[in-house]
Amino acid sequence: MMRLAAVALLLVLVALPLSVRPSAPPVAWLAAAALAVGGVGVIAWSVPLVTAAGSLALIAYALALVVAGPAADPPAAIALGATLVLLLALVHFAGRARGAALGPSVVAAQARQWLAVAGLGAVVAVVLIGAAAPLAGALRSAALPVVVTIAAVGALVTVAGVIALITGPGSRDPGA
Amino acid sequence: MTWRPTALNLSLLTVVGWALFLSVLTGRTELAVVAVPPVVALVAGRRAAPAPVWRIQRELSTTRVLEDERVTVTVTLRAEGPLALVELLEPLPPRVRLARGSNHAFFTLRAGREIRWTFDLRAAGRQHLRLGGLHLRRWGPLGLAAAETHERAPAVVAVYPRPAPIRYLPRPRRTQTSVGNYVSPAQGEGIEPGDIRPFAPGDQVRHVNWRATLKLGTLHVTQHHRERNADVVLLLDTLTEVGRDGDTVVDVAARGAATLAAAYLARKDRVGLIEYGGQPRWVRPGAGRSHLERVLDALLSASVVFTYVNRDLDLVPPRILPPQALVVALSPLLDRRFVRVATDLAARGFDLLVIAVSPIPAARAAARRSPVADVAARLWALERRVELDEYRRRGLTIVEWDGVGPLDAALAALGPRWRRRVLAG
Repeated sequence: MMRLAAVALLLVLVALPLSVRPSAPPVAWLAAAALAVGGVGVIAWSVPLVTAAGSLALIAYALALVVAGPAADPPAAIALGATLVLLLALVHFAGRARGAALGPSVVAAQARQWLAVAGLGAVVAVVLIGAAAPLAGALRSAALPVVVTIAAVGALVTVAGVIALITGPGSRDPGA
Repeated sequence: MTWRPTALNLSLLTVVGWALFLSVLTGRTELAVVAVPPVVALVAGRRAAPAPVWRIQRELSTTRVLEDERVTVTVTLRAEGPLALVELLEPLPPRVRLARGSNHAFFTLRAGREIRWTFDLRAAGRQHLRLGGLHLRRWGPLGLAAAETHERAPAVVAVYPRPAPIRYLPRPRRTQTSVGNYVSPAQGEGIEPGDIRPFAPGDQVRHVNWRATLKLGTLHVTQHHRERNADVVLLLDTLTEVGRDGDTVVDVAARGAATLAAAYLARKDRVGLIEYGGQPRWVRPGAGRSHLERVLDALLSASVVFTYVNRDLDLVPPRILPPQALVVALSPLLDRRFVRVATDLAARGFDLLVIAVSPIPAARAAARRSPVADVAARLWALERRVELDEYRRRGLTIVEWDGVGPLDAALAALGPRWRRRVLAG
């Protein structure tokens, strides 16, 4: 059951870049590579392999966007992000629980939790997109290098912040 | 309980990094949007969880089993507060495998709920099966953080060598005074008919042999043989050990000793045990079911103890090694000290049978298979045959047992001398 769900999520992950530009050979090759690596990852319940497959799918998606140059499609991007979260969480749990006895409501409770987090991510993304629209108007006159620099610094700060949040002090049991 | 980030954080960070990098590289906002759900998941994984309050209890179905019997482990987990996801693991010691269920489980519990989790273990070979305690891992949201603890609840299960059914049991030469299953040549109370003699005052009427009386014209009675038991002392060689852990010659010899002890005790004989090794130990001859447990207990802890001190059997008191006893020695006959002891017992007139447990199968199982190992094993077998013949010339009665087949088959090869009538004790 969990393997079927993982395969379905992997197919969604691979289908999204292809839906942007299905005919472009590099996109198809990258999508095929993502499918192969992800398939092996799902069979072996390997989080690193599925992460590699997700990265390949992201590169394929970026390439498809560059080649096709379509209009912005936030729902597809949100779906891709949520699928990545669900797939990684599912493979991580299934790998840990391989061969173990599962209580009666474990899988259902986990699925509810994953869907709630993915849904929250989608809502936050929608809110951010909504907030970005007025900001885009303000930045339209700014010079492009400034915008790129701010975006790069923002990306770097986001990643660094998340790393600090996870690995920093204060990781004691919050409820203890 | 300390929460630690799991590898899933690194995976999500990788995805976020790629999305943001590609977004900046290509100038497409969709790629930045892709990063939002993973970032939200990473932040949600830090959400505060209530303090874990649970009660855990582990029970074992038994603390004494025979080899290959099952032990059921029942774990009861009661959550006083909600438990989103808890992982339990009971590590298995070596030479123990799962017979049913899993020693690893995941549970989600609401406050006040209780769950029972059972699995069966099967121990291969005699051992003290030690369970250290449960390892618990509590998972945070999405599996992004985990906290571990260990419930120390050591438990020990004694796994005794399994006595095998046996048909050909070497008969002792001499019987003792208590009632048993051996027909003694001595006349007395019993059910086995013996000689017929003329009636004498004091004879009971029920012993009158009417057929002989009618034929001979005077009263004749049938005499009966007494049925007596015997003393059997099992001499276990723990001087040397060959083979893989749990399948050594000492383990095989202990299994054989358990088989013989159970069979002789079932015949109402008194059975004693002498563990002849670096640290000699013994069990005084006794009878009954409780005595079998004493012998099995001693066999369970029989092991090789290295020492430079060379002890003789002279230190064993006569009540442990009665002169009338049948001595059954179980040994690979690898150590000259044991051969000397066996030869000495035979020379002193003890009724001695040596069961030579072959070390070759145990050594072959421990070594890697190769043509050289095959040749070495064949040479060893030839050398051993010559050695055993030499011991037989010295007066030892030796029966070879490979330890793989049943002991019964090895004992069946014994000559009729060992299915002999017994002498009066």
